Amino acid sequence: MVDLARVQKELHECNRDVQVSGINVTLKGDSLTHLIGTIPGPVGTPYEGGTFKIDITLTDGYPFEPPKMKFATKVWHPNISSQSGAICLDILKDQWSPALTLKTALLSIQALLSAPEPDDPQDAVVAQQYLRDHQTFVGTARYWTETFAKTSTLAADEKIQKLVEMGFPEAQVRSTLEANGWDENMALEKLLSS
Amino acid sequence: MENGHEDHEEIQIEEIPDEFQCCVCLELLYKPVVLGCGHIACFWCIYKAMNTWRESNCPICRHPYHHFPSLCRLMHSLLLKLYPLASARRVKQVAEEEKEVGSCSPEFDDDFSESRCKTDLVPDTASPHSVSSQKCGSAGEGDHSSIDADVPATSSSEINKDTISKNLNFADEHTSASEKQVLMTDLLCGICELLLCKPVVLNCSHVYCENCVINPSNKLCRCPVCQLEHPNGYPNICLILEHYLEEQFPELYAERKRASMERSDCQIPSKRNRHEAAGCKSVPGFDLSAWLTSGGPQVHSEAGCDYCGMCPIVGERYKCKDCTEKIGFDLCEGCYKSSSKLPGRFNQQHTPEHQFELIQALQVRNVVLRLQPERLEGDDSDFQLEYGEPRSLEPRPLEEDSSETNSPRDDLRDGQVGNISSSSTGDDDGGRESADRD
Repeated sequence: MVDLARVQKELHECNRDVQVSGINVTLKGDSLTHLIGTIPGPVGTPYEGGTFKIDITLTDGYPFEPPKMKFATKVWHPNISSQSGAICLDILKDQWSPALTLKTALLSIQALLSAPEPDDPQDAVVAQQYLRDHQTFVGTARYWTETFAKTSTLAADEKIQKLVEMGFPEAQVRSTLEANGWDENMALEKLLSS
Repeated sequence: MENGHEDHEEIQIEEIPDEFQCCVCLELLYKPVVLGCGHIACFWCIYKAMNTWRESNCPICRHPYHHFPSLCRLMHSLLLKLYPLASARRVKQVAEEEKEVGSCSPEFDDDFSESRCKTDLVPDTASPHSVSSQKCGSAGEGDHSSIDADVPATSSSEINKDTISKNLNFADEHTSASEKQVLMTDLLCGICELLLCKPVVLNCSHVYCENCVINPSNKLCRCPVCQLEHPNGYPNICLILEHYLEEQFPELYAERKRASMERSDCQIPSKRNRHEAAGCKSVPGFDLSAWLTSGGPQVHSEAGCDYCGMCPIVGERYKCKDCTEKIGFDLCEGCYKSSSKLPGRFNQQHTPEHQFELIQALQVRNVVLRLQPERLEGDDSDFQLEYGEPRSLEPRPLEEDSSETNSPRDDLRDGQVGNISSSSTGDDDGGRESADRD
C-alpha cells in the first residue's frame, strides 16, 4: 500500500519552496498515486527555458520502491528515450533509497539533463549523435526544447488555434495537447478518436 | 466530542524540527532505531526498508548493515518528553498500522520502567516541586500510552487527552531550567555516568560516550550491559543526538568534549584510522555468492535473528516451533548457542521452554542469482552448467518492479549515470546532513 500520508507531506513540502527550486508536483487526477512533476530546463544547456513534464506513478511499495517516472514532454537526450520518455537513471532503479523523495528524484533528473551520460544510453540514436556530431545534437535538443517544452510561447497558441479551427472545443484541445506533449499530430489523432 | 478532540490535537501539535523527522515516513521519529552509521529512523521504517535477501543499506548514507538494531530507548523516551503531543498521535497511528499488519513493535519491559522511575524522581530535588511533578506526570502518562500500544482506542485517546490538557496547563510555567534537569538525567553514559559525549548507539540500543565504549586496541566493540557484540565495525557518532546535547547543555557539553579530547589524545593514537574502519568495513561473514556457488553458509532470506537482529540469517537458522505469532521467532546459530534471554524483536511470547527446529534454506539459488546478477557475473556460466536449470522456470522475483516500464534490464547495471545521480542525491543528503549538524 502506498504511504499516502507521506505522499501528502511530500507534496506540501515540495510546493512550499517551488519558487526557489522551480520543481513542482501536482496531482494528475483524484488519486495520489498519479502525479505530474515539472522541472525547468537547466541554465546553460540546450534545455534552458523549457519546462519539462514528468509523469509519475507510485507503486504499492512506495517509498520502499522507486516511483515510476518518465518524461511526458518530448526531449532529445542520450539517457531519455525520444520515443517513450523512459529515463535511464540509477536512483529510479536499483539505487533508490526510501530517504529519497519525489522532489529529490526530480532534482536528479534535472541534473541528468545538464550532465548526459552517452556511454550508458537509453536512446542509442541520440547518444550516437551526442558523441559523433555534438553540434547537431545541441541544435536538435534546442529545437525540441523550443518545440515541445515551451508551452507558453506562440507555437502553443498556434497549435491550439489550428485545432480549434478544425472544430474542437478549446479546453479539450488544450488538455489533449498537454497530455500528448504538445505533439500536434498525436493530439489530433486522440481528438478524432475520442 | 471525539471530533472536537481531534481538531484540538491537530492545532496543538508541536512543530517537529527536521532532525527529529524520520527520513522514511517524514513524521516524528517513533520507536527510533539507530544504525551503525549513526542515522536514525523509525523501527517499522527500517524494518520495511531492509533487504531480506542480502545486507541492507542505510536509507541516508547507504552504509551497509546486516543487523536490525534494537529500539533505542534513550532516544525514544527523549522524544516522548520533547514532543508529547506529536508522540501521542504517532502512538495511535502506529497502533492502527500494527493492527492492520498483525505484528507488534517491541514494548518496554520492567527494567525500563524502573529506570524511568529513577529519572523521574531526580528532578524533584533540583527544580520547583509543582513544575517537576506536573512534568513527570504528563511525561509518564505519555509513556504509558505508548508502552501499552495495544490498549483499546478509547482509553488511549483519553490518556492522550489528559496528556494534552496537562501539557497546556503547565506550558507557561514550564521553565527551560527544569526541562534541562529532567532531560539531563536521561542522557547519561552507562559507563562513565556523566553526560554523554560524542554518543554512539550500539546495535543492542545502549548508548555510550564514544571514548568510553570504543577500545582502540580491540577490533570489536562489546556492550558492557548486555555483553552483545556490536557487529560491522565501530558505530559512528549519532550526530542528531550529539547536536541535541550541544544545544541543550552548551557549556557542559563543550567541557565534556574538551575533557574527552584530552583523554583521547593520550589514549587513542590513531583516531582517523579508527573512523575509517567504522566507515568502510563491510559486513563480516556475509557472502551471498559463496553460498550460491561453492556451498558457503546458507542464506535464509526473509528470516531475521530475534536476538542479534541479523537479517537475513546466514548459516544455520533455528526456528521456534511453539511461537504462534505470524512473524515467527528465529535465531541464528550464534545466538541459539549463547544463553542470551532477550525478548523477541516483535513482542513474541517466546519462553525458554519453547522447542526449536533447524531450518534448511529454500532452494532459491537461481532466483537470487537473477536478483544479484552483478555480484555473480563471473560465476554465471558455471552455475548454469552445474545445475542445468533454465532461468525461465524462476518464480517472479520480488523486486522486478522498477525495470518494467523503463528500459531493458541491462541499463540497470554498470550505469555511468551513477555519477550524476549520486552527485545530485549526494547534494541533497549533504543538505540533510548539514541540517543535522547546524
